[in-house]
Amino acid sequence: MTATLTEVRPRSARMRSVLGNQFVGSALLALLVAVGWEVLSGLTFVIPSPVETLLVLFRNLSDPTYLFDVRITAQSVLLAFVIGTAIGGGTGLLLGLSQRLRLIFEPLIIILNGIPKIVLYPVLLPIFSLTGSKVVMGVLFALFPVLINVSTGVREIPRVYWKLGKSVRANPWQMLVHIIFPAIRRPLLTGIRLAVSLAVVGVVLSEFFATRRGLGRVVLQSYSHGDYPSMVATIMLLITISFAISIALWQWERRIH
Amino acid sequence: MTTSYVAADDLPTETMPEPERQPNTTERRPRRMGNLVLSVSSTVGLIVLFTAFCEVGVRAGLWKESVLPAPSTIFPTLATLLTKGQFWEDAGRTGFEVAIAIVFGSLLGFAAGLVFWKAPLIGRIFEPYLVSFYAVPLVLFYPVMIVLVGINAMSVIILATIMAAIPMALNTAVGLNAMPPVYMKLARSLKASPGQALFAIAIPAAGPFIVAGLRLAVVYALIGAIAMEFTTAQAGLGYRIRYLYEVFDNNQMFAYIVMVLALSLILTVLLAIVERMLLRGRNL
Repeated sequence: MTATLTEVRPRSARMRSVLGNQFVGSALLALLVAVGWEVLSGLTFVIPSPVETLLVLFRNLSDPTYLFDVRITAQSVLLAFVIGTAIGGGTGLLLGLSQRLRLIFEPLIIILNGIPKIVLYPVLLPIFSLTGSKVVMGVLFALFPVLINVSTGVREIPRVYWKLGKSVRANPWQMLVHIIFPAIRRPLLTGIRLAVSLAVVGVVLSEFFATRRGLGRVVLQSYSHGDYPSMVATIMLLITISFAISIALWQWERRIH
Repeated sequence: MTTSYVAADDLPTETMPEPERQPNTTERRPRRMGNLVLSVSSTVGLIVLFTAFCEVGVRAGLWKESVLPAPSTIFPTLATLLTKGQFWEDAGRTGFEVAIAIVFGSLLGFAAGLVFWKAPLIGRIFEPYLVSFYAVPLVLFYPVMIVLVGINAMSVIILATIMAAIPMALNTAVGLNAMPPVYMKLARSLKASPGQALFAIAIPAAGPFIVAGLRLAVVYALIGAIAMEFTTAQAGLGYRIRYLYEVFDNNQMFAYIVMVLALSLILTVLLAIVERMLLRGRNL
């Protein structure tokens, strides 16, 4: 798109391509936000400056107890993401393949997707214990985008693909691997991308509520101790990691055509 | 000329619940009605079945009353809840926060979507952030917000507004960009003023996307507000659930949980109906 534009107007081509580069522009925006943050931190004493936050982050990351919390959260998120994607993908596939199942379950799934799932956390706690419940909450958060995307993706596979499968007498497994997966890889990737950040949110929100270890507890503890630099540093760590993963997946998704 | 800069790829997810729109021929009508009846009755059936399962489970002693009370003990509590001032206070607080967030969020999002459409460069710069902060992860900023603004309705409203604005902005931009270029040419050849071109041509053309964005904005504002209240707050439905959990008032807590679930269910159904009414007669 930009390529055709610049060819038409070669005069400002270079300027345009530099400014038009999404990476450069977005990085500039991030820089602007960082400057705004710096100014804001000068105005109020409660928010640490970006540099201070980074220093606190590095100090925290060299602290073994903090690293233990990081590991606990990372494990829970990973588990929640894997289980959520598997359940969501499987259910989505079934719903996409069967019109009847879709008619029966789709409204309920849309309703479940719209409820604030976090209020179920007190219900999960006695069933799955403190360590299990946050994983289950993460699964509940991560499940729906994958499910919905896969179901829509499968439904929108062009009919000729199915015909092709039939004409080469592909068995169900071959259909799945050679026809369905390649055909839905884009919506699947979109679902996975959303699932990653939602798994993080589900786990960390649960840790805000009640848990023994984990970054969510670190955040809330530093909040109640008034240790704002550590709180902001931990939040920024979580946000940056999920941002980086989403962006990487998003770029991959855009490259698939 | 349609630039595909803003999350066009996100669409399958986010505009999804379009249950089977078949061609509007008279012959197909009965079947569509049949499908609708099947969907509605099975949804109601599944909910009733689940309720019955909970009841039987407790009665049969599969789990303890404290883990998941029987629906027959929750429902009377639920009825008394509706007569309590406390409940209406909490519901009012949450409703107020969500309503403000929806109004400002959708206006903000719509304006942002227009800007992204008119100035694709800005859209491209903001795109990665909007796409990856697809609304919900913003909840993690809540502790920062309460430090900055204080534990009050304002901090919830600010974040919920941003959460509502993001899907609205993305959908508006995508909808406007998906508009066939000939529409704007028509506006030019009719010498329509910018306002006319916007309200008479562009907005109706992007209608389905904007309505879908609005629906998502409502859902995200509700989810966000409740999640934030649940983390820490002084009032609101989410806060009350947490409070009741901490004082071990199990029945009341379950009544509140069921109430929140019921409210969001009603909201989802209402939104689906409104969406259908607004988009009636369109060939999607």
